[in-house]
Amino acid sequence: MNDKLRVTEKELTQEALRDPTEALRVPVVTPPVPYPIETLVPEVRQQTPAVGQRATRPDGRLHGLGQTRYIDDLTFPGMLHAKIKRAGIASALIKRIDTSEAEAMPGVMAVLTGREIPVNSFGPSLQDQPVLCDERVFHAGDGVAAVAAVTEQIALEALEKIKVEYEPLPAVLDPLEAMKDDAPKVHPPASNIYSHKIIKKGDLEKGFAESDHIFEARFSTQMVEHVPLEPHASIGMWDSNGRLTVYSSLGRITLGRTDIARTLRLPINRVHVVATIVGGNFGGKNEITQEPVVALLAKKTGRPVKAVYSRGEEFTSSTTRHPIIMDYKTGVSRDGRILARQVKLYLDGGAYCSWSETTLGKACILSPGPYNIENVEAEAFVIYTNKTVTGAMRGFGAPQVCFAYESHMDDIAKALGIDPLEIRLRNAFSEGSISPTGQVLHSVVVRESLERAAERYGWQESQS
Amino acid sequence: MTEVKMKLNGETRSASVPPETTLLKMLRESFNLTGAKLGCDVGDCGACTVLVDGMSVNACLMLANQVDGREVLTIEGLATVEYLHPVQEAFETFASLQCGFCGPGVIMSAKALLDENPDPTIPEIRDALSGNLCRCTGYTKMIEAIQDAARILRAKEHA
Repeated sequence: MNDKLRVTEKELTQEALRDPTEALRVPVVTPPVPYPIETLVPEVRQQTPAVGQRATRPDGRLHGLGQTRYIDDLTFPGMLHAKIKRAGIASALIKRIDTSEAEAMPGVMAVLTGREIPVNSFGPSLQDQPVLCDERVFHAGDGVAAVAAVTEQIALEALEKIKVEYEPLPAVLDPLEAMKDDAPKVHPPASNIYSHKIIKKGDLEKGFAESDHIFEARFSTQMVEHVPLEPHASIGMWDSNGRLTVYSSLGRITLGRTDIARTLRLPINRVHVVATIVGGNFGGKNEITQEPVVALLAKKTGRPVKAVYSRGEEFTSSTTRHPIIMDYKTGVSRDGRILARQVKLYLDGGAYCSWSETTLGKACILSPGPYNIENVEAEAFVIYTNKTVTGAMRGFGAPQVCFAYESHMDDIAKALGIDPLEIRLRNAFSEGSISPTGQVLHSVVVRESLERAAERYGWQESQS
Repeated sequence: MTEVKMKLNGETRSASVPPETTLLKMLRESFNLTGAKLGCDVGDCGACTVLVDGMSVNACLMLANQVDGREVLTIEGLATVEYLHPVQEAFETFASLQCGFCGPGVIMSAKALLDENPDPTIPEIRDALSGNLCRCTGYTKMIEAIQDAARILRAKEHA
């Protein structure tokens, strides 16, 4: 006790010695006693009592009663329904948008185009995505105009009355084509390669020179949509003080709030984002979509505005999983030990960046696989194409590379006549292994997991 | 406008809706019964499943005036204040729902199955749920819960 007090006095004196500007960086109220942060380090391989037990969800009852209110289940007095007109063309200049016929329709309360959006760009890392396209269309699922009407049906009919004149531009749909110097630029004058990462460990050339066999293969994966059962939904409304409230199916509300404030050019404290239960996210609801649109339509009409994606829009206009073209080159010794591995990843980034930088990083870091390899080089590119936006999805690029390196391992095992399990056990990470990025790994149970799985599955028997 | 009069969750109710209104839209907008959800609007996902005269239907594919004079049961009509339906209780105990969006539809499909077949096999349960999609993938726990609910319902019958 006395010791603690003494420490406190000493600390306080030291606080007084700080420069006033430095003092700004410490908490305004200094804790009365030094407050050590106790970090909880779980014991490795300790079986916690939670494992194997049934856990009920606190919200489970209301889910089962049908009483959980998702965004589309909320209504507010006087609420209008909004719909967004999709471009339906992969790459084009917008020459003219005529909304007069739609505006004249009975029941249509407001029409919004991209030019009316205060700051028409957003995105979690690069702000390259327009809320509604104003001058140029970057992919077919882009929104070009929006309508708020008293019913959803009228809003849909009004979309058909909006006339958009396009000047088609050459579209680039293949990431490898898009990488070429003479390829049409998706976001001119910027290069189509918008992010790049390289990881190097050891000496690749030396590793290949020492190898008895070298295997090369190309793998590719397709675009995958999250298909949450609940489509993206949001409701916007303003109060009399000019503050905006957005109810949204967003998963990342703080990020969404920043993006909404930015696009509407509002101070962030004027924006209130309310998130309720999300009906499935899987990474697809990690950024704003139509929130600024409902906010501006609500402002124009002075009424709450709700918008819900159709299932079709979920596929064309929300984010998807990156298709990746993966080139693997692996040098192995006669006994199946991997001596060198070179990986090149080409991520199809779609029309906008979204969470591509995160996906690129994770895919690149994990691409050599959970194996001890002395000489590694992994290089990844993410490339703009005039296709649906690719973004976050469960695993952020990990499932794609896992498919590639494990398929590659099987091919190598087959060619060398080694049991596929055995070749993995010979190369797998163990306690204290160092990853290609130099991270020392702990709690590594790859071997144990593989052995246990093989035993339970009856691997040896199935091979004989 | 078309007049629809039906027995909804045990009570006689009526609504006046435009002729193109689906049963789902009428339930959600005219009666504020939002338990049935709009997932795909084309009858694939089953989030809108309700029972019409005891048969499970996709409410998004049925027009409102098709239920005129018939009996409609939605998830809201399944439980009372004191009593959860055994399927709902089992879904809670077995934590069969994650995001819960598909839940009301799945529970209604299960109820239709158990009304007809009090002792379904696992393939029969799978078959009954074939029109309901779950993306969080809780099918295993749903099947366990439905088996458990079936046991409880059978025990009640014998008691």
